[in-house]
Amino acid sequence: MSFFRGGIGMRLADLIGGVVVLILGLAVVFFSSQLPYYSEFGPGPGFLPLWVGVVFIGCAIFVIINILRKHDKIGTFFKPRTKLGLQVLVIIFIAFLVLPFLGFSIGLALFIGITMRIMGKHRWVSCSLTAVVTAICIHLIFISWLTIPLPQGLIGW
Amino acid sequence: MDLLNNLYTGFSIALTFNNIIYCLVGVLFGQIIGVLPGIGAPTAIALLLPLTFKANPTSALIMFAGIYYGVAYGGTITSVLINVPGESSTVMTCLDGYQMALKGRAGAALSIAAIGSFIAGTVSIVILMAFAPALAKLALRFGPAEYFALAFMAFGLLMVFGGEQPIKTIISTMLGLLISTIGLDVVSGMPRFAFGVPQLLGGFDFIIIICGMFGIAEVFSSIEEPEEGELVKSKLRLRDLFLTWQDWVASRWAIVRGGVIGFIVGIIPAGGITTASFLAYLAEKRYSKHPERFGTGAIEGVAAPESANNAASISGFAPLLALGIPGSPTTAVMLAGFMMWGIRPGPMLFQKNPDLVWGLISSMYIGNFLLLLINVFLIPAFVALLRLPYTIIMGFIVIFASVGAYSVNNNFFDVWMMLGFAVLGYLMRKLNYPIVPLVLALVLGNLAENSLRQALMISGGSLSIFFTRPISAIFISAAILAYLTPVIRWALKGLRRPKVDTA
Repeated sequence: MSFFRGGIGMRLADLIGGVVVLILGLAVVFFSSQLPYYSEFGPGPGFLPLWVGVVFIGCAIFVIINILRKHDKIGTFFKPRTKLGLQVLVIIFIAFLVLPFLGFSIGLALFIGITMRIMGKHRWVSCSLTAVVTAICIHLIFISWLTIPLPQGLIGW
Repeated sequence: MDLLNNLYTGFSIALTFNNIIYCLVGVLFGQIIGVLPGIGAPTAIALLLPLTFKANPTSALIMFAGIYYGVAYGGTITSVLINVPGESSTVMTCLDGYQMALKGRAGAALSIAAIGSFIAGTVSIVILMAFAPALAKLALRFGPAEYFALAFMAFGLLMVFGGEQPIKTIISTMLGLLISTIGLDVVSGMPRFAFGVPQLLGGFDFIIIICGMFGIAEVFSSIEEPEEGELVKSKLRLRDLFLTWQDWVASRWAIVRGGVIGFIVGIIPAGGITTASFLAYLAEKRYSKHPERFGTGAIEGVAAPESANNAASISGFAPLLALGIPGSPTTAVMLAGFMMWGIRPGPMLFQKNPDLVWGLISSMYIGNFLLLLINVFLIPAFVALLRLPYTIIMGFIVIFASVGAYSVNNNFFDVWMMLGFAVLGYLMRKLNYPIVPLVLALVLGNLAENSLRQALMISGGSLSIFFTRPISAIFISAAILAYLTPVIRWALKGLRRPKVDTA
């Protein structure tokens, strides 16, 4: 129960991390055991991944036992500003979703404008101006000057 | 004579107008990156790498090298003026540099950092010029057994220089190795962990992982825990930068010792510039007749780590150029650059591309000189950068990372993968899993696996090949010792623990 006191504690987060590594190790062992371990000319394609999986499992068990044995408090996983970080992650996620339709110049410019507004609490005018300048800079630098074939979206810019 | 010939070849390339501009842009960019929070040298180079695809490789490498050693100069400014290291390699500078600033001696601290870095850096370049070709000559004798043993030793050294939790360092290293196995196996041609996804058959491009794990992940971490410090409110005038005679006397040997420690640590795989500055500071404190002054504004406490980090950033090029083995995340990204341009670093590089090698090395003299001038005359301009809102910096990182990831293969799959690696990098940081071992294992993974397989093919499956060849045996012995470090540390801790008197 001490795991849950005061939100998700670092111990619980660490324990979850250990379990994820353990599951990953088991999966790696499973999939690499389907590859030839040894071939005619020495170690096969399954050789290294299998041992990587075994080390994963060993380390994960060590981590899990270590966490269960210790009882000292080592802080919480979520910090006061974690929510802000998650908001930015969501905005980046949405920006990447719309990039094929809006193009890199406009899509990333909108991203800058919106994050400036949400994170920095800048005025709408500053946000809009920065977004416009960003769109022009991205287009001029990456598309016109460096000739990187970035998608230009439905607007074609 | 060879050395002078090489120097002449190098300068005839580095001193062309084009390359001087690349060098200037590199050191200026490095200085800016060093000042800005939340972005380091590996990220900066990874973000710029896809944009230099069409550039001349020598010019691009001159610029990237400039960023690498320029970052250490820039990071010093924030360490001294706001007690926040702009770079991990300038953490130790905060201890005495900020104290000096509080006493009104910020100018002297910044000055000794720049001069110490310049002296140690320049001497390191001279040693690098002599040492790197010798190392390359030795590497010509390397076979698969030696290359595997070297990579095996590098993984072991990660545990020596890694964080406090060696088990997490191992997990991180294994994750890097696992990612390096994704895609078609080069020996058998069989797909591994691709799960029928065609984009995964070629494996993950290194740039995507670096942009995600160092670039965007750092954005999340910086938003969550911003590094805020208070700017020391004293105006920096040019005359404040001049050092007194006492300053010189106190710092001269600190610069020499820091430089030597930095050079040696920089060569060691997984050593890196942060470890170099840390060890130089500790050594200086131990050597000092007045160790109690350290932490209260001792100028040698600034001179030693600053000289060390610059020397290490220079010597780090020796294993990269001569062996094709990167010792730090930044040189690992540069290795990705070499691959992108179709150049294979290693012993043959000195014979096949002497222009590139000597042009790059000679440009470091120019770069260090430019940085000295920049740091003496332009510091106020860089201090002004500290007022730049983080949202703007974050925006730049996201733009460069997403353009960089897209331009690798011109598809959105890589952009999404980069975001996935960003989340992974952020979670790993939060749970204290170090990122550097993952990156180095990722870069060295293919070399380690292929060398191991080739060596065992040669020996008919016998492991004795690694112990009977002298160079390989030395590397393997060092590796075993490195892997045992946590056990040795644990045993020593037990011995030193005072016994409880139960009587």
